Amino acid sequence: MLIKSSNQLPRHTLLKRFPVPRRFKTPPASRIEPGKTWPAPPKATRTKTLRVYRYEPESGRNPRIDTFEIDLDDCGPMLLDALIKIKNEIDPTLTFRRSCREGVCGSCAMNIDGTNWLACIRTLAETESPTLIYPLNNLPVVKDLVPDQTHLWAQYEAVEPWLKTDTPAPSRERLQTQEDRAELDGYYECIMCFCCTSGCPSHWWNSDRFLGPAVLLQAYRWLADSRDEATGERLDALEDPFRLYRCHTILNCTRTCPKGLNPGKAIAETKRLMLERRS
Amino acid sequence: MASARKLAHDPRPRSPHVQVYRPQLTSVLSFGHRLAGIGLSLGSIALAVWLIAAASGAQAYARVMDLVGSPVGTALMFVWTYALFFHLCNGIRHLFWDRAQGFELRTIYASGWAVVAASVVLTLLAWGWALV
Repeated sequence: MLIKSSNQLPRHTLLKRFPVPRRFKTPPASRIEPGKTWPAPPKATRTKTLRVYRYEPESGRNPRIDTFEIDLDDCGPMLLDALIKIKNEIDPTLTFRRSCREGVCGSCAMNIDGTNWLACIRTLAETESPTLIYPLNNLPVVKDLVPDQTHLWAQYEAVEPWLKTDTPAPSRERLQTQEDRAELDGYYECIMCFCCTSGCPSHWWNSDRFLGPAVLLQAYRWLADSRDEATGERLDALEDPFRLYRCHTILNCTRTCPKGLNPGKAIAETKRLMLERRS
Repeated sequence: MASARKLAHDPRPRSPHVQVYRPQLTSVLSFGHRLAGIGLSLGSIALAVWLIAAASGAQAYARVMDLVGSPVGTALMFVWTYALFFHLCNGIRHLFWDRAQGFELRTIYASGWAVVAASVVLTLLAWGWALV
C-alpha cells in the first residue's frame, strides 16, 4: 500500500516479521523466554492484551515476554496510558522512560507492533491485539523498555553538533536571512528519540562504525546552517566508508520518524555535498 | 560510581532487531536488491559456462541446453530474469536518490511499487517474447 506519511499504520503486510529464526544473531543472554500472564480483572468487558518485553538485571535471568490484559474502560486512550496503568495498578516494577506525554520529548520511543514510534502518541485503538512491545532495537537493555543509549549519544557528540566559526564573534547574534533559516526546516525539529537509528538495518549490522540516521540528520543540520563556518571540516570527518556511506538508502528511517522528518534525504544531501566539493 | 562501573561490566541483553522489526516496502526492496545482486553474480557464472560450452562444440552446447531446458533450469532462468529486471529497475531508483531526488515518503512508496510492477511486467514480456 502507498504510505504518504510516517504516522500511517501498515494495514496489510504479508509478514509481521522477517522469516529468520528468532535466535538469529542473538547471543545466549539476549534470548527471550516466555514470561508471566496477568489476567484482566473479572468485571472487565472490553479488554486489550499487551505483550511486553521484560528484563530484570538483578534476577540473573534472561529477558522474557509478559502478557498484560487491560480493562479498556478503565484506561486512557494512548499506549503510554496503558503502560502507566500497568505500572500503577498491576506490576510496579515495569520500567520505561516517559516525560512529556505529547510527542515532543522523545523519551517513550519503543518498538510497537514491529515498528518504532512514541508510546504517548500511539492510540491503543491503532495497536494490534495482542500489542507487541519491545525496547528500541539493537541496544543493551538496562531494564525492561529502557535501553542504554550511551553509544548513540557518543555518536551524536562525534559530529560536534554545535556552531563552529572562525570569524570573530559579533557584538550581537549571528544573523541569517529567512531563506537561509528555512534551509534548517525539517532538520532542527529532531527530538533525538532514536526511533530511526534503532530501526535502521545498516545500523544493526554496523552500529560500531556507522553513525546512523538520527546522528547524520543532525550532522546535516549543521552543514546546512549558513552561520556555520566548518563545513569542509565536517565533511572531512564524515568522508569514511562506514560513518556516512554505510547508508544504503533503505529508508526505514523516513518511514518511522514520529516527527515526520526525513533522515534519508538529509543523508542524500550530505552525499551530494561530498560529490560537489570533489568536482 | 562503583555501582555504575559494576553495571557497565554486567553482560546486558541486546534488544531484538531483525528478529522483531516489521518488514516494510523500504527494507524488503533493499534486502531484495542485495539478494538479486548476489543471485545475478552467481548467474553470471552460469552465463560464462554457457558461453564456454557454445565455444567448445555442439555436444557440450547441447548438454548445457538440456540443463537449461530442464524444469529446475527453467525455474532458475525465470528467477534470474526477474532478478535482472528488479535490479535494473531498482538501480534506476537509486540513481535518482543519488541526485537527492524522490525522498518524500509518498514518492519512496510510489517508486517502490513502480519498481515491483515494472520488474514483473518486464519479466513476463521477456518470457512471452522468448516463448513465441
